[in-house]
Amino acid sequence: MEANWEPKILAFLCNWCSYAGADLAGTSRIQYPTNIRVIRVPCSGRINPLFILKALQSGIDGVLVSGCHPGDCHYISGNYIGRRKSATLKRFLEYLGIEEGRVQFSWVSAAEGGKFSQVVNEVTQGIKRLGPSRRFGKRSDEFRVQSSE
Amino acid sequence: MIQQKIREKAKELLSKKEVDLVIGFVKGTLPLRTTPRFIRNPEKTDRLIWNPFCENNLATYLHKFRQFKVGLVVKGCDARSITALFLEKRFKPNQLFLMGVPCQRMVDRRKVEKAVPGEILHAHEQEDLIIVEGDDFEKALKRDDFLYPSCQACTHRNPINVDVLLGDPVEEFPLTEIHPEVKEFEKKSPEERWNFFEKESGRCIRCYACREVCPMCYCAECFVDSSNPKWIERGLSPSDLQFYHMVRAYHQTGRCTGCGACERACPMEIRLTYLTQKLNQDVKELFAFEAGIDPDTPPPLSAFEIEDRQEFIK
Amino acid sequence: MKLRLDKKDLKSFLQSLIDQYDLYAPVQLTEGVSVYKKIDRPGEVSLTLLNPQKPLKEIFFPQSEVMFDFEKVGKRNQVTSTEEVKKERVILGARPCDIQAISILDEIFLGKDYTDVYFLQKRKLTTIIGFSCNHPLSTCFCSSTGGSPFFREGADLFFIDLEEAFLVELLTEKGMAFQKNRFFKEADPKDISLAKEIEEKASTKGDASVPIERIEKRLNLMMESPFWDRVHEKCMGCRICTYLCPTCHCFDIVDEALNNRGHRVRNWDSCLSSLYSQETSGHNPRPSGRERTRQRLMHKFNYFPKNFGRVACVGCGRCILYCPVNFDIRQAIELTSPKGIKKEKAEVN
Repeated sequence: MEANWEPKILAFLCNWCSYAGADLAGTSRIQYPTNIRVIRVPCSGRINPLFILKALQSGIDGVLVSGCHPGDCHYISGNYIGRRKSATLKRFLEYLGIEEGRVQFSWVSAAEGGKFSQVVNEVTQGIKRLGPSRRFGKRSDEFRVQSSE
Repeated sequence: MIQQKIREKAKELLSKKEVDLVIGFVKGTLPLRTTPRFIRNPEKTDRLIWNPFCENNLATYLHKFRQFKVGLVVKGCDARSITALFLEKRFKPNQLFLMGVPCQRMVDRRKVEKAVPGEILHAHEQEDLIIVEGDDFEKALKRDDFLYPSCQACTHRNPINVDVLLGDPVEEFPLTEIHPEVKEFEKKSPEERWNFFEKESGRCIRCYACREVCPMCYCAECFVDSSNPKWIERGLSPSDLQFYHMVRAYHQTGRCTGCGACERACPMEIRLTYLTQKLNQDVKELFAFEAGIDPDTPPPLSAFEIEDRQEFIK
Repeated sequence: MKLRLDKKDLKSFLQSLIDQYDLYAPVQLTEGVSVYKKIDRPGEVSLTLLNPQKPLKEIFFPQSEVMFDFEKVGKRNQVTSTEEVKKERVILGARPCDIQAISILDEIFLGKDYTDVYFLQKRKLTTIIGFSCNHPLSTCFCSSTGGSPFFREGADLFFIDLEEAFLVELLTEKGMAFQKNRFFKEADPKDISLAKEIEEKASTKGDASVPIERIEKRLNLMMESPFWDRVHEKCMGCRICTYLCPTCHCFDIVDEALNNRGHRVRNWDSCLSSLYSQETSGHNPRPSGRERTRQRLMHKFNYFPKNFGRVACVGCGRCILYCPVNFDIRQAIELTSPKGIKKEKAEVN
C-alpha cells in the first residue's frame, strides 16, 4: 500500500436528515475528511443492497449509509425497513469475508452537523486502517479474462 | 408404504377432479435419480415413487402452472417454500393441494458416486442402507453418511401447512441455536472465508440452474438480465461471479427454506447453502422469523419492529 | 504409425509439450469437477474423470472471448483488435465425442459463406491428442450418433491407455510431426494386440440403441405435434445442457465499457433462456419452454442435418449426467420413433 493512499468512500445520505446534516456541517465550516463522495437518496430505506455491492465492486474502499433517527423518517417507516436491510446485509458481507468496517451505518439528523463530521472521520480512519479494498473488485485487467486461460 | 399412499392420493385427486394435474416423482433414467412427472390421468399415478433420491423441490414448477389447480408432492422444506410463496401472494387460495411426505432426508448422489470405484449401474434402498452395484463392485453404504449438506442439520422434516400428511411423522432433531455449518464457517478468519467463497464461486459457469430450480426465484426480470441499470456483465469475470452469488443468496433473505435444490443442481458442485443458511440464521436471531412456518407473519424485510436491533449503527 | 509412451515418461513428456507449446488438458477444480485449462506444470493435468464438465469447444470457442478493444483517446475512438494467437497449441486428453464435436463446429465457424477468424486462428494452430474411452459410461451414446469410444477421426494423435503405457497412433500430418519425440518408443506387437482387445471390449459398452437414424425425417412431420406439449414440462430452463454440450454454439455479443475504455465480448448464450429470442418490441416467438425445447431438439436433429448432413449431437452424455431434473435426451429421441410414438400414445396423460 502506497504511503499516500487515500481511500475512496461513498456515502449514501437520506435527503431529509443525513444530507441536510452534512450540509449543516458544511455551512458551519466543520472540517471533515474529503475522502467521501455523497450520493443523495430520498430515504435510507430506498437503498438497494446492490448499490453497496456495486460500489465495492467498482473499487470503492468503503461505504457509509446514513439516515434519519428511528421515529423521524420523513416517510414514517422507511428507515425502519432500511435498518433491517442494513443489519442483514452487514452480517452477510462479514460472513463472506469482507472486512468488518468496510460498510458502516449511522443515524444523522438534519441538526447534527457535528455528528456527521465525527462519523465521517471515524469511518475514514477505519477504512484507512483496513487498507484498499482488495477482496471484491473488478480490476481493470479483468476485462481480459478468458475462460480457459 | 409412503409410495403407495402417494399413488392412492394422487389417483383420488385426479379421479374426483379435485386437481387438474399432480406433480410428483417417478423413476429416473439413471440409478440414483428420480425425475419430476406431470400426471393428468388417474390411471398413470401408479408410476409415482418415493425414495431418498426425490431431491428436487417441485414447488418451482408451480410458477408455470398458475392457471391450474395443482396437486403436489412435498417434503418438509418444499412445503415451507410454498407457504413462503403464499405469503408473497403467488397463488390464490385453494389453488394447490399439498401432499406432504415426512422426509427421511435426501441422499447426495454425487457423494455416493465418489465413494465407489466405477460407474454405478444399479442402486436401491434397503432399510438404512443404500446398496450400489457397478460392473465389478457392490457396496452397502450407510444412508446417513451420505446426506446432502442441506439435509444434515434439517429441523423441519415433517411438512406443515399441507392438506394431507402421507405417512407417520418422523422425529425432528432438536433445534440448535446456530446452524452447525454456519457455526463452523464463522470460526474461520475473514481471509479464509473470502478465499473459500472466491474458490467456490470461481467455478461458476453462469448456467443459472441454481436460480431456475429455486422456487423463490421467479422475478420476471432477474437482476442479471437487467441492462438498465446493468449490475453485472454476462461473462466469467471472477468479480461478476462473486456478485451474482452474493446477490442471489441475499435475495433469499427471509425467504429461503434451505431445501438445497440450488446446490444439487449445480454442475460445478459449488457450495451454496452455507450462504443462505447464514441469512436464515440471522433472520431468526434478529427478527425471530423462519421462512415458511407461519402463513400470516409478513416477510421480515417488508416489516419492522420499533425495537429492532441497531447496535451496529453509529 | 504406432508408437508407445511409457507412463513413467508421461510427466516428462507433458513438460516437453509445455516447453514447446501452449498445452491444454483437463484440470481438476474440485473432486469430481474438471475443465480444460492451459497447463503450466505437468502435475496440474487430471485424467481421472472420463470427460470434463466443460467441453472441448471451450478451447476454440471460449465462453467469454474479447473480440476487440476500444478506447477514447482525446477526441478519437480507437479500436484495437485482439492479439493474434501465434503460439502452437496442443490439446491432450480429448475424447472422441468432443473431437467429433469440433468438426461439427467447423461447419458453423469455418463454413463456406463465412469464416470466424477467432475460431480459425486457434483451430489452425492446434494439434489434438485424442484419448480412447476404455470404459464408456452407460450414458455415453456416441455409437448411436455415428461415433464410437475409439473413433479416431479428427484426432492428430490418438493415445490408448494400456495401464503401464499409452499406445500412440500418429494419424495426420500434424501427428506425424511428433514421430521423433524423444519419449515415444517403438510399439511392441503385444501393445498393439492389447489395444485391440481393449477396443473390442469398449465397443460393447455405451448406448448404441438410441434411434437417431432417420430422426431428421421423423421430426419433419412433428413441428406442431402435441408431443412437444408434454416433453418440455420438467425442463426448468437453465443452461446446463447447452453450455456443457460440445456442439452447442449460440452466442451473444455485448459491449463492456468502463469510463473511456472497453471491449466487445462474445459470450455463450442458450436458446433455452426465456430472453434468448425476446425481441425489442416485447414479442417473443418462443414464449414458453414448449417452443424452446422444441427448438433445441429440432436444431440438433432436424435443422442442422438439413444444412450439414449430420446430427449436431455426438452422444457425449453430459446433458444426461448433469441435468438437475434428469431430462434425458435419449428418452426424448425414443419418443419420436414409431415404437416410441405407439408407447406414448398408450401412455399420454
